[in-house]
Amino acid sequence: MEHQRCYIYELPKTEERSPKRQRTNRYNAQAQLPERLQTYRELWAQQEERIQEQDTLEKADSAVQGKIVNFISASSSMPDERKSVIPTGLIVAGPSIASHGPFFERLGRSIKEDAGSAYVVLTSGECPNLKTLLKNLIKKATSRVDDDDEDDLDRPATSSKHGPKLLNYDLGHIQEWNKRNRVSSIVVALQDSEAFDAGLLVDMIDLFHSWLDRLPFVLLFGIATSAESFEDRLSGNSLRYLEGEKFDVTQSDDIIEKLFSATVASTHVRLRIGPNISRRMLDRQKDHVQNTQDFCDGLKYAYMSHFYASYPSLFLKEDIAFKDLSPDAFEAVRNLPSFRQWVEKKLEQGQAQEVRSLLNSNEYMFEQVMLHIKSSQQALSTLSHAAQVLSNTREALQMSPKVRLSSIWTRAASGELSNSPLLRETMLCIKKIPSDKLVLLLAAMQQLEGDYFSMDISLLQKEIDKLLQTNDTNAPLRTQHDVRNDNLRTTVVAQKVLLSKHKAALSEQDKAYSDLVGRFYDKLEAYFDSAFIDPRTLFLSEVLVYDLKSPHTEVFQPKPRFAIERALASPHDYLGCDCCTGVDGNEAALSATQPATAIVYQMYLESGTLINVSDLWSAFNAIAGDGDEENESKTMAIFQRALAELKYLGLVKPSRKKTDHITKIMWKGL
Amino acid sequence: MLPDEIIAQLISEYQCRDQQIHNLAALYSSHLPSPPCLDVYGLTATGKSSILASFFQLSSISHTIINVRECITARHLLERIVAASVDALEEFHDEKLDRRSYARTENLSALCVHLGNLLEGRGKFVLVLDAVDKLREGGGTLIAALARLGETVPNLSLILSTTLPLTPSTLHSSSISFLHFPSYTRSQLLAILGANPPKIFLTPPSLETFPDYTPDLAAEDDAWLWNRFLTTVYDSLSKHTGRDLISFRSCAMKLWRPFVEPVVSGQFGTRDFSRLMVNRRHLFQLEDSVLDRILDPNTASTSSQTATSTASGLPEPATPSKQRQAKMTVHDLPYYTTHLLIAAYLASYNPSRTDVTYFMKHTDKRKNKRRAPSAASFSMSSKRTGSKVRKISRHLLTPSPFPLDRLFAIFRALLVDSVPQVADLYTQIATLTSMRLLVRAGGAGSNDALEMGGKWRVNFGWEYARALGRSVNLEVGEYLVGGVD
Repeated sequence: MEHQRCYIYELPKTEERSPKRQRTNRYNAQAQLPERLQTYRELWAQQEERIQEQDTLEKADSAVQGKIVNFISASSSMPDERKSVIPTGLIVAGPSIASHGPFFERLGRSIKEDAGSAYVVLTSGECPNLKTLLKNLIKKATSRVDDDDEDDLDRPATSSKHGPKLLNYDLGHIQEWNKRNRVSSIVVALQDSEAFDAGLLVDMIDLFHSWLDRLPFVLLFGIATSAESFEDRLSGNSLRYLEGEKFDVTQSDDIIEKLFSATVASTHVRLRIGPNISRRMLDRQKDHVQNTQDFCDGLKYAYMSHFYASYPSLFLKEDIAFKDLSPDAFEAVRNLPSFRQWVEKKLEQGQAQEVRSLLNSNEYMFEQVMLHIKSSQQALSTLSHAAQVLSNTREALQMSPKVRLSSIWTRAASGELSNSPLLRETMLCIKKIPSDKLVLLLAAMQQLEGDYFSMDISLLQKEIDKLLQTNDTNAPLRTQHDVRNDNLRTTVVAQKVLLSKHKAALSEQDKAYSDLVGRFYDKLEAYFDSAFIDPRTLFLSEVLVYDLKSPHTEVFQPKPRFAIERALASPHDYLGCDCCTGVDGNEAALSATQPATAIVYQMYLESGTLINVSDLWSAFNAIAGDGDEENESKTMAIFQRALAELKYLGLVKPSRKKTDHITKIMWKGL
Repeated sequence: MLPDEIIAQLISEYQCRDQQIHNLAALYSSHLPSPPCLDVYGLTATGKSSILASFFQLSSISHTIINVRECITARHLLERIVAASVDALEEFHDEKLDRRSYARTENLSALCVHLGNLLEGRGKFVLVLDAVDKLREGGGTLIAALARLGETVPNLSLILSTTLPLTPSTLHSSSISFLHFPSYTRSQLLAILGANPPKIFLTPPSLETFPDYTPDLAAEDDAWLWNRFLTTVYDSLSKHTGRDLISFRSCAMKLWRPFVEPVVSGQFGTRDFSRLMVNRRHLFQLEDSVLDRILDPNTASTSSQTATSTASGLPEPATPSKQRQAKMTVHDLPYYTTHLLIAAYLASYNPSRTDVTYFMKHTDKRKNKRRAPSAASFSMSSKRTGSKVRKISRHLLTPSPFPLDRLFAIFRALLVDSVPQVADLYTQIATLTSMRLLVRAGGAGSNDALEMGGKWRVNFGWEYARALGRSVNLEVGEYLVGGVD
């Protein structure tokens, strides 16, 4: 408040206020929740569309699916020749089991459309034995309503009118159905073939093979590990009945990369997730699960929490008008850390009047916020685009440690990239670039030229074309920084060898080329410098970027075991009462006031694998009991309940090795 | 058709089965009585089913053939027998039967009644149960009861075909006729397969360049080379791996195209058998052609082979070691999942008392990795003490079960950094279980996934574990008790 010369400090009048300060008008955390919900839905719908179209889920698979469909139609197109083997597709779908279901669903759609085949997916859960497998297969293939699932031997009473009827696990049903429908092949897909019993698979293959002259079966096996280990599980006899191809489904980390660049690192995104949370999500993908759905869920949850918890997120709504907003919204913006930074910067620049009006006038504030949302979004988009440019540059130069776009973007978004070794190394490489590589690089960059990257690539391309035309040798042009243009010279002066580097004399063309590369380098460096800002310094970065760790971690990476162990080992952490703080401030000490289960658990921690219950009881009685003989039965009851609770939690189990002992089965901290 | 004509036609169709065909024709002629039950037995691919089917097709005897492989339960078999008999009789006598009374065949007695009713007052009916020993849930007495059906239904004659002869103990009687289909001998196999040779040239050479190479000449060449080739394949491979017709044929067909490749490319003439043999000897040294695979190894390796063949002009013989390495490609698992699997392997194959030695956190990390005495020292010590106990390398034994907490403890010991206690680890265990890389092993409550204290076991071998370890820069062998060679 530098607009005043001096201040009068008045003590706040405490008499009027209650000792605990209360808000006069309660801040309503749920204010304008419907609007925020609507904004969220709008934004998420855009993202979802991007996920769908980019997808990955459709696009990335389409090549593999096309191959599989071709394989099926090829194998079904030779019906004349009597087939002696079942055509088999081994689909190596990778270890992310959760994505197998959607994959086979999409595959089924395209098989039905393109190959004109019947398609049945079977999972291990619904096929515990051959009979159930066949029943399910028939039910799904013929879309028959199963009227008797209570007992397979039962059959509808009407059957006696029509003579012998097929049992409900007889493949004759499919034969009849096939007579009516005439499909070119019957594709049976086993979604999780590993989980099927090997004996069941052998039986099934044997059966299908003997029916092959009447029913055109095609088998598809979804495999999570490897085709070889799948083959190893089958007997040689059933392998003889199968012949086919292997199909590799796109690795999920490639899909994640595509998803990331479409949903986070794209230039059209209005709300972004921050570097911390994106690093967390990517690490989780790398370390624990590989699942695209999980990534989408994480992103969606981040969006949801952003709009739920933060009031200023309302400003993200498209064409929001001033009258839609309550003064609280502006108050909330004024409390943002980025607002303070911004205001302080303004004050440093001596724009006190403007700051005053920002603080006083909501209208002015609104204008500024709108303006800055635009400009900050622009800056963030430029940053994302620059990350893309950097990634493509590295790819075009074939630089050796391959850095994925997601990690480049994450580093850029945390503001680490400007002056980082990664960027410096890339720029140095550009300095030395020979002309053949530069042409490739320029071609790669031309695709990225646009609003967020306005460099005159075509002009450069023309220049270099002209230079190359005059170049009559086969060798590419080299810049003055290229190592091949250096040579070492040794001179011996007073018995000391001096090494000195000299630039070789450059040809005219090389000089012109060096000049060209120099200009290109300067431009690119300027671009990167301007683009790689620290987004956290932007005004309203809290609104535009969601980067809170807390609810995300708890929701996606809970620690159930840790929480239970902590609650039992130090109940004070959770109870927060005065009585459990322990003796003499020592929290670790046991005291009678702690819950009985916690006391027993802490004694349990100190014991070995086998625990003598009688010893445990006497120790417990010493702590929890009051030494009175009469109350002992009450203590015993508490003790027994505590022990039962431990058993219920799965921490102990009765032991058969020794009488009166229990076995410890869980160790703390694992 | 007259019996003699049938015999002549069958003999021309099925070589080297003259005696069996004569026997069948003698036993099942339309006017002479037939045995109530006949057991046709012989190993796989000896022509049992096809000859039976063709024979009854040609002879005008009412019959039905049921492939027992297609029957899931005994009930299913009984139902099929009745339904098929009804169909066959209707077709043979060209009349409409009242099917309503044959709606249910719950058990053997119902079958007896139904067949009795069906065949009453009719001529001979032959019921062929093909591969009756492949019935999935046959009760102990089912086959015996079926074999004695002829006693209650006089005009039924039953043929059971099995791999091995039915013993009197399964039949509960010794009065049954047998017909043996012996396996083909070497000369028979060669004669059968040599009858129709495949072509050397898939597209015949153009007439302009080779005007005198007529189709007749080509067929002669095909037959000459094919017969010599068959002899070689039999003596080098099939004799020791699979002597039945199907294995031999598939093996020969797999080898034929690569074998004649130099002839097609013009490197050797069609009658240059010895030089061709020397050039293609690697085909007979590998076991690829006798192994049954789903994926065709030729198509899989052609892409890699074309690269080498363009470089050297000739495709290099693939050595088995090369193949083995290419086989062990591990699908990328997430980082912690890989470590969990390695920990599970170590927990299965290391005795738990050595855990302290191997996994205690020392300041000196190298101390942990201790190699056990090598195989050489084992044999030395056993010689000195004279004990006859032979040690089997641990990784050849079945994995031993371990509790889940031991797995987690080893997992934490393997990782240098600390791991958060997240629920994801349990998710991964569940995922690995459904991929059958980890399986629950016996003990109480092994069916209940929530039951703690259950034991687990790994379900993969040493090579997979080693490949996993190498993908995360961890040499699993260093932590394995007993070491590995």
